[in-house]
Amino acid sequence: MRKRMTFVGIGCLAIVVAVAAGIGGGGGSAATAAPTARDVTGSITLAGWTSGGSTEGQLLRQVLAGFKKKYPKINVTYTALDPYQQNMLAQFAARKPPDVFYVDSNDFPDWVKQGLLQPLDSYMKKYKFSTKPFYPRLLNAFKYKGKTYGFPKGFSPLSMEINTSMLARVGGKAPTTWAQLRALAQRMKAANIPEGGRPICLQPEWARLLAFVYQNKGSLLNSSKTKATVVTPAVRDAVNFYVGLINSGLAGTQQQLGAGWCGEALGKEKAAITFEGNWIMPFMAEQFPSVKYRVYRMVKNKQAATLSFTVSYSMAKASKNKAAAWTLLTYLVGKPGMTTWTSKGLELPSRKDVKLKVGGRTSFIRDAPIGRPWQFAPGFSKVMTVANNELTAVIEGKQTVNGMLAKVQEAANEALP
Amino acid sequence: MAVAVPQRTQRRRESLGSAKAREAFVGYAFVALPLGFFFLFFIFPMIYAFYISRYDWGVLGPIENLGLQNYRELIDDELFRHALRNILVYTLFVVPGQMALGLLAAVIVNQKIRGRPFFRASFYFPSLASSAAIVAIFIYLLNADGLVNSILGTNTAFFADSDTALPAIMALNTWTTSGTIMLFYLAALQAIPTDVYEAAAIDASGAWRTFWKITFPLLKPGHFFVLVVSIIGCLKVFDQMYIVSGGTGGPNYSTLSVVLYMYRTAISDLRWGYAAAIGVVLFLMIFVFTLVQRLLFGRAEVS
Repeated sequence: MRKRMTFVGIGCLAIVVAVAAGIGGGGGSAATAAPTARDVTGSITLAGWTSGGSTEGQLLRQVLAGFKKKYPKINVTYTALDPYQQNMLAQFAARKPPDVFYVDSNDFPDWVKQGLLQPLDSYMKKYKFSTKPFYPRLLNAFKYKGKTYGFPKGFSPLSMEINTSMLARVGGKAPTTWAQLRALAQRMKAANIPEGGRPICLQPEWARLLAFVYQNKGSLLNSSKTKATVVTPAVRDAVNFYVGLINSGLAGTQQQLGAGWCGEALGKEKAAITFEGNWIMPFMAEQFPSVKYRVYRMVKNKQAATLSFTVSYSMAKASKNKAAAWTLLTYLVGKPGMTTWTSKGLELPSRKDVKLKVGGRTSFIRDAPIGRPWQFAPGFSKVMTVANNELTAVIEGKQTVNGMLAKVQEAANEALP
Repeated sequence: MAVAVPQRTQRRRESLGSAKAREAFVGYAFVALPLGFFFLFFIFPMIYAFYISRYDWGVLGPIENLGLQNYRELIDDELFRHALRNILVYTLFVVPGQMALGLLAAVIVNQKIRGRPFFRASFYFPSLASSAAIVAIFIYLLNADGLVNSILGTNTAFFADSDTALPAIMALNTWTTSGTIMLFYLAALQAIPTDVYEAAAIDASGAWRTFWKITFPLLKPGHFFVLVVSIIGCLKVFDQMYIVSGGTGGPNYSTLSVVLYMYRTAISDLRWGYAAAIGVVLFLMIFVFTLVQRLLFGRAEVS
């Protein structure tokens, strides 16, 4: 009798220990590798603005198929939201956001400040996720108060595109500095190239002008984003250079050249030089395949700098299955996921260890380290509305450069705490 | 029974009383659902917007009670002043334009001409088409080297020049909404009894005189209704401004409308309390306008 009781006793103890270990183990012990296929289960939602029918949509489906193979127990549903911000905000407000979603670097400061995003540092530590392969500037775009809230899924910097046949006709070389840019434009204008257009196309927005401001060692905010540094000689001179090109007829806005954007102006051969990102390549290949152009590195002045447009994958703070969301997130920005996503060159890899299979983008990649994210501080959307409107006024001649900078500084000071 | 009321009248009185009550009840029952709908989707959000406007309201809820500070900030807001100026200028020109064009179309379509349904449909068609599609086509037409410029021999990028952007949108909207105005005037025109025209014909009144002295004054209920609806629509303009300016409010604030400013404040700035305050101010403006019109033009009754 006693033997049997001992047996039963040991058996029960064993069961209890096993169950406890099971529960404890499921909760996650310290410093394990990325969750294995068996651990994590669940249904999660992914949201973005990539439409299902486009080429990018197909690439995303390929990535998700690869994910499904590796983690068959996690079910991912992708929804394309259009318009994106409005729909996301509605879902956030309803406390039912998607688990993983895109965050544009320009939306990031406001979204993170409102407490919508999940800090990822604890997951990075727990699953030993290394962020070393990411370009530092892109990674830092998604940090707030020292914590990480997303990983860049790709990027595109602004580089310079020049129509090579027009360049050959004036016998010029691709410019590397502001002075050379101006000189080349003057040569083209004197030779009436392009006919009925202007040598350079410049968009009347700060999303292009700011690159030139950075090249002049100026910026709208100080590095800690606590003070507005708009009314400074560095910024003023850069704006004068930019607007000066337009006023002297060496450059035109896309509207003056009869186009919707400068890429179209390049394609319609109304401009020889423009400053766009790698999105221009599929556009030109599709719409204007006969126009010969090449991508060169961005010009520089006091320093080499340009703008990078980047988007992160982030996790919702209100996500109900964070382990599964983390698994998806790290796969999407991991080496295999990003290799598939960037395989057609529609977005450039934000990781140094992902090599592009498609060509023609060397200059873009070379500009990656000097590309600053298009991003400000929380509450800056109104400042940019003022800044862009004032810039169009300056270009029309209805406002002075100093007047514009004063207004932008005023708006920036109001927005900063 | 102790009561000396003849049974027949008593029963009739009872049945009359309950019939009225029943009728009233049935009436309310029918209206209850749409009324509830109306309350839930119109009245309640309006009240809630008043409530939100008194807070600094973020995506996840109220952050701080500001009392009336949002409204105080609005008074000094330069962007809001630009937006207000724009919609007032817009309304000032588009309302008479729409009414004139709509009335003209209605008078034409009211004649017994051949192909009347065709004219009616073609005048009304712009109102039906998606505003986004129409604006996209106009952006193309008004391009610096587009159709309009080649006809005029100029080179203006209409939507990129702050002097022409708003007028271009005004012209565009006058044309698209005139179709709806035409329908309202058509209804009012057809309500005018034909014997009035017969009397005018007997008095040998010319077409123009008939129109001015008889038709136009008799359209007073139409005028009042069209004026109110037109002004309300003009003060709320958004679609075209958003598409043309890409959401920024256009070159040099020229296409910034109040609703566009409210939209930007909500979606990009994430300041939902401030955006609600803008909405409330716009609502009060429209309300006052409508009230003033009601008092000035009296009730819409045909004398």
